[in-house]
Amino acid sequence: MAYVATRGGEKAIDQSERLYRADMGTIDAGRIAEIRRALPWLIDRVMGEASLYEADLAALALAQSGGDLYEAVLLLRAWRTTQPRLTIAEPVTQDKLFTHRRISAAFKDIPGGQILGPTLDYSHRLLATGVLEGRPFVPAAVEPATTPAPAEQPSLAAWQKAQGLVADPAREDVALDDIPDLTREPLLFPAKRAHTLQSLARADTGGVLALGYSAMRGYGNAHPTVNELRLAEAEVVVRHPRGTMFSAGRVKVSQAEVTSKGRSGQLDLGFCATFGWNEIKVIAGATLDLNAPDAPQNSPVNEEFFLYHTEPVEASGFCIHFKLPHYVTFQSALDALRDAKAKAAASDAASTASAPARQPAVTEEVPA
Amino acid sequence: MTDAAHAATTVANHGDFLTALSHADAESVKRFAEGLLPQLGAIEVLRSRTGLVMLPFRDTVKGTDFHLGEVLVAEAEVRLTDHDATGYGMVTGRDLEWAMAMALIDAAATADLAPAAIDAFVTGLEAANADRDRARLCAVEATRVDMETF
Repeated sequence: MAYVATRGGEKAIDQSERLYRADMGTIDAGRIAEIRRALPWLIDRVMGEASLYEADLAALALAQSGGDLYEAVLLLRAWRTTQPRLTIAEPVTQDKLFTHRRISAAFKDIPGGQILGPTLDYSHRLLATGVLEGRPFVPAAVEPATTPAPAEQPSLAAWQKAQGLVADPAREDVALDDIPDLTREPLLFPAKRAHTLQSLARADTGGVLALGYSAMRGYGNAHPTVNELRLAEAEVVVRHPRGTMFSAGRVKVSQAEVTSKGRSGQLDLGFCATFGWNEIKVIAGATLDLNAPDAPQNSPVNEEFFLYHTEPVEASGFCIHFKLPHYVTFQSALDALRDAKAKAAASDAASTASAPARQPAVTEEVPA
Repeated sequence: MTDAAHAATTVANHGDFLTALSHADAESVKRFAEGLLPQLGAIEVLRSRTGLVMLPFRDTVKGTDFHLGEVLVAEAEVRLTDHDATGYGMVTGRDLEWAMAMALIDAAATADLAPAAIDAFVTGLEAANADRDRARLCAVEATRVDMETF
């Protein structure tokens, strides 16, 4: 492969960026606030894929990119590198989550009960076209219960482990500084479980869904049932300089376990979690985790396959790089093509000259 | 005054005290800190910056701790030079003034300045935070499913 330096096009490049931004108009604080207020699920998705939790910045990235999610994620990932890492928080555990939604499709009577929380799962999907005709869509108010739900809900997996329904492998305590970190070390295979789960947490929602869906349709080893799905807020617990542990605030998180009957006579579980509330991603991600053990090479549920192909910045970057000038490589391909055609023509001519002349078997019809 | 002594005279413990400030309405924390300023004397700002906190999460299947992602936080640390006391604040987000206000209140509490006012303010914050959580959890509870099997 060869590269050549080219000149020219500076004005066109400048004007093309202006044209892109002109179509979106002035971006001010009001637009950012409105995006943040009106599109919380989109903000969550972008924060998860960017692996950076800050809703105002996510809204700004969406405004600047005009809603192009890959551009927004790239902006946030790039901005993140300008910030120092101050510390590592205490690990979030499921039983300490401030839980807004928690359901199981596998067990009807889960400890703590089923709480639907905020969801459109059972709603009619009707477009409120009246809004376009001047009739605002005003949602009906929730009729709150007189007693609050418990903020913290028990872990279904812990109950299943206690019942012997799922394996309960001994866990190894790892110092915070020793938790493997993809932002500082490469993803190698077979991947460490911490790398797999971190990679899924920051993966492209659409990519995880596509590959997870392929497993659900039969291109995997196990069909998933949602063991537990949670939408919650996690405390960011940090250490005061004098040693006191305290929470610096809460962040929204999603987590899912999916299950299927394992070969060992127990239930197998797959797991995925991410920043923000993004159910599709964690269910599909947990499905990939469930299917990954012993997956054949080149299968969509092979961890190397799905982790490499669901990294949003790398995947979108590789895709759009094909728009950039490839004139030399393409010229080389074109030269090879012309050369092959010339050789074929020469070969035909040589064989025609050495063979006796023949009349065509069929005469072409000439349209009147 | 030591942390332990301080804990005995104000809210239940230092961790709850700091958590109340970081979960509160930012503007009320800023206003209260501003009101304390005349009593604090000279202030040395040791840190005032934004940065990242990596948040680990524990997998419920195999118990593996992994990194969920990074949270942007604002951090501040101050020293009250006249009282030889330091204070620290960290809040999720970008609000440096909120983190600074938290650090000033923490420093004032450590120096035992305006203990009754600080105690009353933080106790009020804890109640407001609890009310907000309760309101949300009552709405959440309304979505609890009572299943019947036919």
